[in-house]
Amino acid sequence: MSYFFQLVVSGIVVGSIYALSGLGFVLIYKSSRVLNVAHGQIIASGCFITYALTVWAGIPIYISFVMSMVITFFLAMSVERIFLRRLIGEPIISVIMVTIGLMSIIDGIVYLTPFGSENYSFPEFFPQTPIEVGGVSVSWTQLVGVIITMVLIAGFSWFFKKSTVGISMRAVSDDQLAAMSIGVSVPRVFGLAWATAGLTAAAAGGIIGNITGLNFDILHSFGIIVFPVVILGGLDSILGAVVAGVLMGLIQQFASGYLDGNWGLNGTAEVLPYILLLIILLFKPHGLFGIHEIERV
Amino acid sequence: MSANRWLTTGNYFTSYQQEQRIFSTLLDRALFIVFILGLFLWPLLIKLSSRNMLVVDTILIAIVAVLGLNLLTGFAGLISIGHAAFVGVGAYTVASIIRFIGDDHMLITHAWPLVILFAGFVGAAFGAFVGLPSLRLRHLYLLMATLSFQIIFQWVINFSTFFNQGQTISVGRVFWFTGKIVRKQHYVFWYYAILVVIVLLGLGVRNILRTRYGRSLVAVRDNDRAADAMGMHPGLTKVYAFALAGFLAGIAGALHAYLYRGVGFESFTLHHSIVYLAMAIVGGMGTLNGSFWGPAAIQFLELRVENLAEKAGHYFPSNMNLSTALRPLTFGLVIVLFLMFEPRGIANWWRIVRSYVKLWPFRY
Repeated sequence: MSYFFQLVVSGIVVGSIYALSGLGFVLIYKSSRVLNVAHGQIIASGCFITYALTVWAGIPIYISFVMSMVITFFLAMSVERIFLRRLIGEPIISVIMVTIGLMSIIDGIVYLTPFGSENYSFPEFFPQTPIEVGGVSVSWTQLVGVIITMVLIAGFSWFFKKSTVGISMRAVSDDQLAAMSIGVSVPRVFGLAWATAGLTAAAAGGIIGNITGLNFDILHSFGIIVFPVVILGGLDSILGAVVAGVLMGLIQQFASGYLDGNWGLNGTAEVLPYILLLIILLFKPHGLFGIHEIERV
Repeated sequence: MSANRWLTTGNYFTSYQQEQRIFSTLLDRALFIVFILGLFLWPLLIKLSSRNMLVVDTILIAIVAVLGLNLLTGFAGLISIGHAAFVGVGAYTVASIIRFIGDDHMLITHAWPLVILFAGFVGAAFGAFVGLPSLRLRHLYLLMATLSFQIIFQWVINFSTFFNQGQTISVGRVFWFTGKIVRKQHYVFWYYAILVVIVLLGLGVRNILRTRYGRSLVAVRDNDRAADAMGMHPGLTKVYAFALAGFLAGIAGALHAYLYRGVGFESFTLHHSIVYLAMAIVGGMGTLNGSFWGPAAIQFLELRVENLAEKAGHYFPSNMNLSTALRPLTFGLVIVLFLMFEPRGIANWWRIVRSYVKLWPFRY
C-alpha cells in the first residue's frame, strides 16, 4: 500500500510541474490561439538562466529564481515582438510553424552553450534527508517545488480573475473585436501573454532543474508532454491545465510503477500520454474543462 | 493559343478545360520532355562519386516525402509534425517483411517494386488512421494527433525487439534484369528508380489536383464551411489527404530503406519531421514545384552548414559539437525567415522572374 501512496506522491510532484508548464501554454493559446510548440525550449532556457545565475554568478537561489523569471518574461516578450507581431492576421497555420522554427532556433542556441553538451545539477539547497510519513518519502526539493507551483498557480488565478490586465487578457481571448472596441490593445495583450507564459516557464524550469538535474533533452521534453496535458484539460482552460497536469503525472507514475516490466512492456510512461491524447482527440476533443466549440467539420 | 505563352501577357484561356491543362502548349510539353530526358541522361555523361550520388538520391527521396507533406500541409492546410514517422512506417514495413522472411528472400530482392508499393499502402492506412480525428476537428488539433503519432512510433520502434530496438535492420541488394545490383552501380541504379517514381508520382499528384477531389481539397483548406455548403465532405476530404500523404511518405520510406540498405530508428525522429516541414515551407506551400525546390535547397544548405561547422570547429572548444548546434539553428532561421518574408517560398521567386520577363520593360 505504501508503494501505491509513494506513486501518488511522486505523481503529484511531477503533475504539479506539468500543471505549471501547461499553464504557460494555455496562456498563449487562450489569448492568441497560437499553439506554442517551443514552450519546452523556453522552460529549458529558464532553467539554464537560473543555473547560470545561481552557480556561475553566485547569486542566492531565491533571488536568481525570481531574476530568471524576470529575464524570461522579457525574453518571451521580445520573441513575440520580433517574430510573431508581424504575423498577426496571417493564417494561424503559419504562426504555428513559426513557433516550430523558434523551437529549432532555441535548440541551436542551447547547443552553442555548455548546457547543450553537458549535464549539470543544482547544488542541494535543502536538507538532504527526505521527509518520511508512513513509509512514503518525499524530498525537500520536491516539497518546495510543489509549494511554489501551487502558490504560482493561485497567484495567476487571482491575476486573471481580479486584475485589470488579467481581465483584459480574458476579454481578448473571448472576443478580439469587442475587446478592441473598449480600448484594449490586442497586440499588447499578446505580448503580455507570451511574457507571462515565459515567466511561468522559467519557474517551471527552475523547479524541474532542481528535481531532475539540467539535461536539455529532459527539459525540453516537458514542452511536448504539455500537449497531452492541455488536451486532457481542455485547450483554453487554466483550471483544466492544472487538474490535467496532476492527473497526467499520476497516470505516468502508475504506468511506470505497475505496467513496466510486466507483459514485456517498458517505458510506458513516455508513450501512454500520447495514446491517451489520440483517444481524447477522437472522442472528447474539448477535454475535461474546455469550451465546447460547436464545430463539426 | 498558338501564340507563345511566354511572350504574351494576360490570360487568353477561353475554357476551363484549357486552363486546367498541365501543358498548355506543345512547346511546354516538349520542354518538359527534354527536361526529363536530361534528368535521365546526365548520369551517363557526368560520373559523380558515390558520395555525391548519395546526396542526389537523398534529395530525390526527400522530394517524394515532401510531395506528400505539401499535399497535406500546403493544399489541405493540415499541419503535420509527424511526417518522418509516416516515412518511417514505410521503411519499417520493409523491415518487418525482412524480419519475417530474411533480407535475401526473392520478395525483397526481386519483387522490390511491389514491396515499395505495399509500403505505400501501409503508410496510407496509418495516415488515414491518424487523420481520423479530422472528421471532427480542425488543424490545431491535428497537429497534436500527428505529434502523438510521431512519439508513439518512436516508442514502438525503440522498445520492441521485433524492430531490433531501433538498431539497423539490413536490407539485401536488389536484382534487376541485368542481374544483381552491385556496390558500384547501387546509387546510380537507385537514382533511376527514384526518378521514375518521382515522375510518376509528380504527374499523379498534379492530376489529382486537377480532379474534383483536388479542387475540394483546396476548397476545404480555404473555407471548410463554404465547402460543406457546396456539398463536399470536409472531414472525409481531410482523411483522404492524410491517406495520400501517408502513401507518398510510405513510398519514400521504402525507397529510403532500399537506398541505405538498412532501416534504423535515427532517420525518422521528430527532428526529421521538422526538416521535412522546413523543406515544404522553403519550397513553397501549396505549389507543386515547391516540393522539388525545397528539398534541394535544404539539403544544399545542410551540406554548406556541415562544411562551415567543420571549418569553424577549430576555433571552438573541442567538447562543443558545432554542427549539432548550427543545424537546428539554420533550420529554425530558414523556417522563420521564409515564413516572415517569403511565405510563398522559392516557387514564388520563379513566378516573380517569369512575370518580370513577361512584362519587361514595364513594371506591371
